[in-house]
Amino acid sequence: MTKSARIALRFIFLALVAIPAAAFAQSDPGVRGGPVNGQQGAGPTSPLPLASVGSNSPSGVTQFFENGLARFQEQEVVSGGQNNGLGPRFNFNSCSGCHAQPAVGGTSPASNPEFQVIAAGIASGSSNTMPPFLTAHGPTLEARFPFFTRANGAPNTNAPNGGVEDLFTVSGRADAGNCNLQQPNFQQAVQNHNIIFRIPTPTFGLGLVENIDDSTLIAVQAANANNNLGISGAFNRNGNDGTIARFGWKAQNKSLLLFSGEAYNVEMGITNEIFAQERPLPQESNGLPASCLNLSNKGYPEDATNFHVARNQDQSTQNAQVPSDIVQFSVFMRLLAPPVPSMTNPGGPTSISNGQALFKSVGCAACHTPTISSTQASNVTPSLGNAQVHAYSDFEVHHMGSGLADNVSQGGAGGDQFRTAPLWGLGQRIFFMHDGRTTDLLVAIDEHRSNGSEATQVEENFASLSAGQQQQVLNFLRSL
Amino acid sequence: MLLWAALLGSAAQADALLVRGAWPSASDTVTPLPEGGTIQYAAYENSYFGLKYPLASGWNQQVEGPPPSDSGYYVLAQIEPEDRSRRSQEGHALIAAQDMFFGATAANTPAELIEYTKQHLDPDFKIEHQPGPVRIAHRDFIRFDYRSPAAQIHWHVLATQIRCHTLEFVFTGRDSPRLSKIVADLDSLQVSDRATPVCIKDFATPENMIAREEPVLLQTRFNPIPVRIIIGADGRIEHTHFISAFPEQARSIGDALAQWRFKPHLVNGRPVRVETGVMFGRAPSTEARNGL
Repeated sequence: MTKSARIALRFIFLALVAIPAAAFAQSDPGVRGGPVNGQQGAGPTSPLPLASVGSNSPSGVTQFFENGLARFQEQEVVSGGQNNGLGPRFNFNSCSGCHAQPAVGGTSPASNPEFQVIAAGIASGSSNTMPPFLTAHGPTLEARFPFFTRANGAPNTNAPNGGVEDLFTVSGRADAGNCNLQQPNFQQAVQNHNIIFRIPTPTFGLGLVENIDDSTLIAVQAANANNNLGISGAFNRNGNDGTIARFGWKAQNKSLLLFSGEAYNVEMGITNEIFAQERPLPQESNGLPASCLNLSNKGYPEDATNFHVARNQDQSTQNAQVPSDIVQFSVFMRLLAPPVPSMTNPGGPTSISNGQALFKSVGCAACHTPTISSTQASNVTPSLGNAQVHAYSDFEVHHMGSGLADNVSQGGAGGDQFRTAPLWGLGQRIFFMHDGRTTDLLVAIDEHRSNGSEATQVEENFASLSAGQQQQVLNFLRSL
Repeated sequence: MLLWAALLGSAAQADALLVRGAWPSASDTVTPLPEGGTIQYAAYENSYFGLKYPLASGWNQQVEGPPPSDSGYYVLAQIEPEDRSRRSQEGHALIAAQDMFFGATAANTPAELIEYTKQHLDPDFKIEHQPGPVRIAHRDFIRFDYRSPAAQIHWHVLATQIRCHTLEFVFTGRDSPRLSKIVADLDSLQVSDRATPVCIKDFATPENMIAREEPVLLQTRFNPIPVRIIIGADGRIEHTHFISAFPEQARSIGDALAQWRFKPHLVNGRPVRVETGVMFGRAPSTEARNGL
């Protein structure tokens, strides 16, 4: 046999050995195709509302939803335009820019809009530089510095910070007057490992979540007591009234209205009826300079109830124009329909069904509670009342270990505690974990295991499954 | 692919938890604590519970568990084969404890706690061994086995009571005969019979107390704060274990407890040390307590 023949035979042998192994290796099927949110008729800029909203029950609710959807997509400017008040610091100029995948109201899109902020003229390139962690096709990010810094820029671990560091300033924009602000020193923060990130949370179905009574969540927690998996979570309770907060990566926000008001002020710099002051960065202890206040020239709060609206032949359309933006943002999110899982894609119905059973068997469901029954009676729209919530979350915060810890405390949640991320709609998300660190579901599952995590036993159980069984779990997750 | 690995590198600080929420602490650093167990010389040792558990050959703790919860649940150790390639074959073990003063259920004994677990088991699981008493290492245990037909994973749970805690050994894996061997090895468990304080539930009541000062919690957080105390024979609190508390809560409660005085608790006519629990802050849910 010639040398070349021997090499060819060896290649064929290796291929025969390797190909079957590769064929059975489990892998993330990737972002599921098909209808947006699994809903026929939904589009990237036209997410569907709850069924009763679609049928306009009660009368006028459809117009409120449509108005909220439109405002969610409005692009803000500093002054002199239709929608004023942007800045003086901001991350982006619209809600829908970041809450975009797979539709308006969702999470981080494939193309990062923040990376285009300077090129698009939303921030001036003469006064802003692109933060080093933003990439064209990476996740949309919010940045926080876990600690205040010493004079030399090193983090002072005795002084927790954790506040949002807005990425851009309005300085240099033609509509921003003489406001002259510097961006935070992101380069230094990266070098000193004093920076963490968050990606946008999707908002589909959140009206249902908002309408779960505390007693229902407590009952779910009780049913999971002594689960033999090492899991025992806690609720992040609102400091004002003691009820269970449930929105945000650490369940730090009590309601959709609060969520809207905080985001409008923190992410876009727009004051409103809940957060009425311009927000300096945490380290700007003297507040903002006078030259950066009231840039919109309309006084405060920049977003307020519209006492005078144009007369419209449709009374409901006119009514929907009266509330402030943050009210209409919360109305929009409250009325958004939850994603609809696929029964067939990816992998076919048997694989998905088996994956669902395995998901429960290995213990994922101890935190990612498939169904919460049921919501309270609703005074908003019938679909929100007495409904099952297939969110795949217990809305508790759990210790997730040093591998995921971000050293940011919010409410009762410490630096390693995170709300169980709702998994509905997971099949069409691109980035996973609170900071969007991975696009691979297998990596995301593995990230649940580290020192101090409640999920280590469950991750071990998942790892003990055969490659074929793990593939079924992945198919199930991508069907959501 | 980890998107941030290249940017942030393996920053030691990024992997260290420095900003904690409610967390365990104690009034001194000498008195053993439930969460203070260690693994050395191929054995898990816990001075608080007075136990030593020799590990299966080649097994060790790779990843530490979370801190105790506000319902008094402890992950004491997580044991698994050191060789990761053996894990899917051999399974893993969890050593956990539930403080019976603070549990989310109404269970007062290991048998009741295991029964609660059984009652709340998902119907997809199949019971292999009904909860029942067994004798292991000269101690009374409750054993409960179940499996997932879908995942072909077995759970063998063995529970015993020490110092008013239900101590659970949970063995999980796909190889049931192999797990049974490891369960049998539990017979080599050693539990010392040294003298420990008498543990009494709800001892801090007016009929047992001479002086009591309520703590002033300045910040309203609405979290349960379970606290274990050891009362000396003289009626003073000699040790306090804040199982889950924010630092300022521990300080306020500690200041108040320093003023507490108890009547002597007599056993055979002689005053003895007592260990009990006190819940501060928000009372835990009664949902599960009513459900048993």
